Amino acid sequence: MTEKTRRTQLYKVHRQTAKLTVFAGFEMPLLYKGIIPEHLAVRNSVGIFDISHMGRVIIQGVDSERFLNYAITNDVSRLSPNGAQYSVMCNEKGGIIDDFVIYRLENEKFMMVSNATNREKDYNWLVKNAEGFDVKIEDVSDGVAMFAIQGPTAEKTLQKISTADLNKIARFNCGHSRLADVKVFISRTGYTGEDGFEIFIWDASLTKPDNAVKLWNAILEAGKTFGIEPCGLGARDTLRLEAGMCLYGNDIDENTTPLEARLGFVVKFQKDNFIGKEVLLKQKNEGIKRKRVGIQMIEQGIPRPNFEIYNGEGEKIGHITSGTFSPLLKCGIGMAYVPISQAQEGNIVNVKMRNKLAKGKIVSFPFYNAEKYGYKRKTAT
Amino acid sequence: MVKVDGYEVPEGLYYTKDWEWVKVEGDKVRVGLTDYAQKQLREVVYAELPEPGTSVTQKEPYGTVESVKAVSDLVAPVSGTVEEVNEEVQSSPEILNEDPYGKGWLLIIKPSNLQAELANVMDFNQAVEWHKTLIKEG
Repeated sequence: MTEKTRRTQLYKVHRQTAKLTVFAGFEMPLLYKGIIPEHLAVRNSVGIFDISHMGRVIIQGVDSERFLNYAITNDVSRLSPNGAQYSVMCNEKGGIIDDFVIYRLENEKFMMVSNATNREKDYNWLVKNAEGFDVKIEDVSDGVAMFAIQGPTAEKTLQKISTADLNKIARFNCGHSRLADVKVFISRTGYTGEDGFEIFIWDASLTKPDNAVKLWNAILEAGKTFGIEPCGLGARDTLRLEAGMCLYGNDIDENTTPLEARLGFVVKFQKDNFIGKEVLLKQKNEGIKRKRVGIQMIEQGIPRPNFEIYNGEGEKIGHITSGTFSPLLKCGIGMAYVPISQAQEGNIVNVKMRNKLAKGKIVSFPFYNAEKYGYKRKTAT
Repeated sequence: MVKVDGYEVPEGLYYTKDWEWVKVEGDKVRVGLTDYAQKQLREVVYAELPEPGTSVTQKEPYGTVESVKAVSDLVAPVSGTVEEVNEEVQSSPEILNEDPYGKGWLLIIKPSNLQAELANVMDFNQAVEWHKTLIKEG
């Protein structure tokens, strides 16, 4: 039985230039030139990703702020129009339904940008919990194309074709602009650890993708002098992993809480009530028993999901949730949940790789040196 | 050397459907990954190879090769004892991509039953035909 795969506005472009893969039911680019050169382009200069497969839901109405503050863990009352924040929403047990970025478009209008895998689940969850609130919830995913332009020269690249002064858009802020004469909504956000932007092309439907294709090509042209590379999901995964960011389904799911996942900064206990608050507050007061850590390999080998982790005494202490080869560090890196007693930075662990054990150590996020890479870097480009 | 749709298939080698080539060198054989295999894998970042002295069995895995995304088994093309391992592949795995039939060789094996086992692998002409089918099937 084959389920028909979905495509983005850029499918025809990808088919000619990329090696494709199926992700969350979408036929998406896995890589163009190669995961490593694409990854390094983003760390050192700039890359562009088609992320039109992501979920986009508009929540509007007089109760929109009150409703979202009940449904999600972060506090949207802190957002002014054209502001955004990272958040999660949890079930009653404190397990994560999804992680996403929430944008305040207008006073009573918000947009949630979430994982492609959870499109239907998120929409249904929001609708189910909106009873009694005066809000309209609408899934607009299919009518919107979305690109991420990431890397230290992302701003310079887009400024060449932008009517708005992008320097004025601070991290986690957004606004309207025209890029290469295409109307866009642009936000300074991303999933790579680098500075960069995510842009929304409102009028680019699947049947009329012209604006999306035109802008994709215009950005590639504008970025040529900076060595821009189109990047696939392969590099998207290695970049977010190096940055220490979670992938839903691997590193977080309904069996993990934001506190265990070290996403406590998006849980605002000062709020009156929100779904999962009771359990999360209890967990906070009692202390978490395990937490998400980074593991950097000392010995050769690449940690892959589900590989078991042992401490020095030979006790099993967890398993890898995400792992890859780090193109920047040139060694294996991974994430795992381990008991608090084992989670100390510098702790040596053994990762079971097929028939041997390989040494790794617990490290902090991001995996790279934040003075040299990422949006907080100190070196100018 | 012929190219089948961009994939190199050198003459004088034997080939397996597990993407390996075999070159008979006197009473030993040298084995490696085919050009088609390295192009499918792309960017090899790690190879786990056996120690010299290990015995390997035709059609059974003896190691792994990893790209950023994927792990693939290396499957022995003939049975025998590993005589030599290409250390350079372990320190610079990218040579598997750059020179799969040359610098990127994997093992030298002292075969235990070569003549009989060569009947189970493809010769050059069969390999060319097989590559054509692979490409047609996409």
